[in-house]
Amino acid sequence: MAEPVLKVQNLSVDYVVGAGTFHALKDVSFEMGPGRVVGIVGETGCGKSTLGHAIPRILAEPPARIRSGKVLLRGMDLLTLSKWKLPLVRGTGIGMIFQEPINSLNPAFRIYDQLVETVRIRKLREIGKVPGLAPGLEPFDYSKRAMPKTSEMIIKPPIVPALPEKAQGRKAIPDKEEYRKEVLEYLRLVRINDPETILDLYPHELSGGMRQRIMIASALSGKPSLLIADEPTSALDITIQAQVLTLMKELMEEVRTSILFISHDLGVIAEMADDVGVMYAGHLVEFGPVEDVYEHPRHPYTKALLRANPNQYKEDGPLPSLTGSVPNLSRLPQGCAFHPRCILARDVCRADPGPLLEPAKGATAAAHLAACHFSDEVEALP
Amino acid sequence: MAAEPETKEPRAVEATPAKKPAGGLRLGVRNFLRVMRANPLTMVGFVLVLIITLTAVALVVVPPIAGAILGHPVMLTPFDPNAPDTSSCPVINNVTICAQPPSAQHWFGTDNLGRDMLSRILAALPLDLFIAFSVAGVALLLGGSLGLIAGFWDKPGTIGGVVSLVIMRLTDIFLAFPSLVLALAIAASLGRGTGPSILAVMLTWWPFYVRLTRGEVIAVKHQPYVMAARAAGVGEWRILFRHIFRNILEPLVVYFTLDVGTVIIIFSTISFIGIGVPVDVPEWGNMVEGYEKLLLTAPWTVLAAGGAIFVTVLAFSLLGDGLRDILDPRSRRALTQAAATTSVTAASSSPEA
Repeated sequence: MAEPVLKVQNLSVDYVVGAGTFHALKDVSFEMGPGRVVGIVGETGCGKSTLGHAIPRILAEPPARIRSGKVLLRGMDLLTLSKWKLPLVRGTGIGMIFQEPINSLNPAFRIYDQLVETVRIRKLREIGKVPGLAPGLEPFDYSKRAMPKTSEMIIKPPIVPALPEKAQGRKAIPDKEEYRKEVLEYLRLVRINDPETILDLYPHELSGGMRQRIMIASALSGKPSLLIADEPTSALDITIQAQVLTLMKELMEEVRTSILFISHDLGVIAEMADDVGVMYAGHLVEFGPVEDVYEHPRHPYTKALLRANPNQYKEDGPLPSLTGSVPNLSRLPQGCAFHPRCILARDVCRADPGPLLEPAKGATAAAHLAACHFSDEVEALP
Repeated sequence: MAAEPETKEPRAVEATPAKKPAGGLRLGVRNFLRVMRANPLTMVGFVLVLIITLTAVALVVVPPIAGAILGHPVMLTPFDPNAPDTSSCPVINNVTICAQPPSAQHWFGTDNLGRDMLSRILAALPLDLFIAFSVAGVALLLGGSLGLIAGFWDKPGTIGGVVSLVIMRLTDIFLAFPSLVLALAIAASLGRGTGPSILAVMLTWWPFYVRLTRGEVIAVKHQPYVMAARAAGVGEWRILFRHIFRNILEPLVVYFTLDVGTVIIIFSTISFIGIGVPVDVPEWGNMVEGYEKLLLTAPWTVLAAGGAIFVTVLAFSLLGDGLRDILDPRSRRALTQAAATTSVTAASSSPEA
């Protein structure tokens, strides 16, 4: 595998609020290769969105606090980066699509003004007019080129701004027409008919599906190396959901960027992702290629999750469900967080938190990882 | 390039304003006029404000220039506002009655010294407008910037948080006093006169804007679109001054226009109590005070001064109300489209009729 675009190592995030400390993420580690689509799946409150927000560091701190870990984007640790440099990474380094398309567009701006913001940021960074992480290369598949060194990533701002452009080998600052063309291009990319008309409209004049398309266009127009899609379809109704998912699937073929796709829908993840990470109570309990994880789960939680899928249940009778409920994140059980609900649980699970993600015994490729003492027994469970 | 279709087919562009690229002064003006047509009261307010402002500017600018060109003093007011004229006063029962009721010669009548009321009202107009705009403007700039800072960087435990705390407690201290009483106290200690009394009102006026701006910033900065802008790589300053500022502009501008009227009233009150401008300077509040004793014998004097305050305050209030609709993209689009469809249907149906 080529050098990973994103490498998350032992990321722990707490929410410190009046009622106590909530461990939203605990020792989460995973890697994303260039062009890979990684799905993160889990139930409400398991830390999916916290993970998605912690990577570009747009978590509200406080109440959130990043306890430990590393988030390496193209080899650069975002957690040690000084605060003022963070905006220089976002947009061109990491793009985001949010859950609520209704509120994610500024109501005071026309669509053109919304979209041109990211395009402008990227263009100015491309020509080195403003400091910032250079965008992923066309067509976003930067795996074809050598990785830029960390030191080159933050381009030093030119102290004398107006030198002859040719002498410096720089492109001139793009004009309005160029911006407009580019914005239209991205609107067409997300299959918007009549983009010229859309440009002058305000967000409230568009439907939810349209707005989510605009958000996708906006995120893509930064040509990010990593795109984080935080439940992009959850707020949409079911038919629009299908449309947006189809669009994203098509875009994945055209735009080969790495995508972190966060969802609570196992079906959506199966459809979209190459790799999948399953989260439970702030822990990443299983990580591996989608087919492997879905066909041969190696963590009892994944197994239970898959078993509860109504589509797979054919016989009469109640749908199998997991006893108990998700533990309170401020008072996680001793040992493995899942043991009170686990049928495999033994004494060792109550005492020892269990391994962090590790491959199966005897496996040659370290692709399918699980965090369970008895991962080999999961396969045999009903 | 982009403007070409507009010049070729102005009518088509008018029918479908969305076809034109974003922005554009002409589009803005056209939309503004459309909203005005759809909102008659805003229209009234706008026209009144325009007339009042232009008159004030003319009263200040024209006399010195015209005087220099013509070589003799020029007055735009029909009579000298400060020269008492007792020559034409009728004598009834050996008492000279100088306060004349409104007539063709003196539209608003004259006061007890025989001075033309219309001239005095007009002469006071530039001063009153200047007071209103300077006080409300300084309050908007000072209070608005403090509010932006206090609202945006209010994370506890940071430098910004401390600054924010200081700003807000200072605001609380100022707001703890009734602003009129505080203004009176400051004006009294600074000494009587136009400048000190303006300064006094200015010093008491900004805290309202801090509260308003801070509240709006806090409400807006937690919106998902601010996080989306942040995630897109927009810097913090640009987020504050573009993404957030544009969304709080509407309440600020509306409050400002309404406030212009309030300042005139407050300042009139200060003058009325006798701390504001000197007695001989025409100023509306001053005049109401001076003519108070004529209320029963020559009511037109008080009514003219009070009416001037009333009309000015009303004009700015009406404009402020309408600006709310114009600044909100939702209602603006609805208004422009409603106006556009009515004008288009009117234009297309008129030839048939």
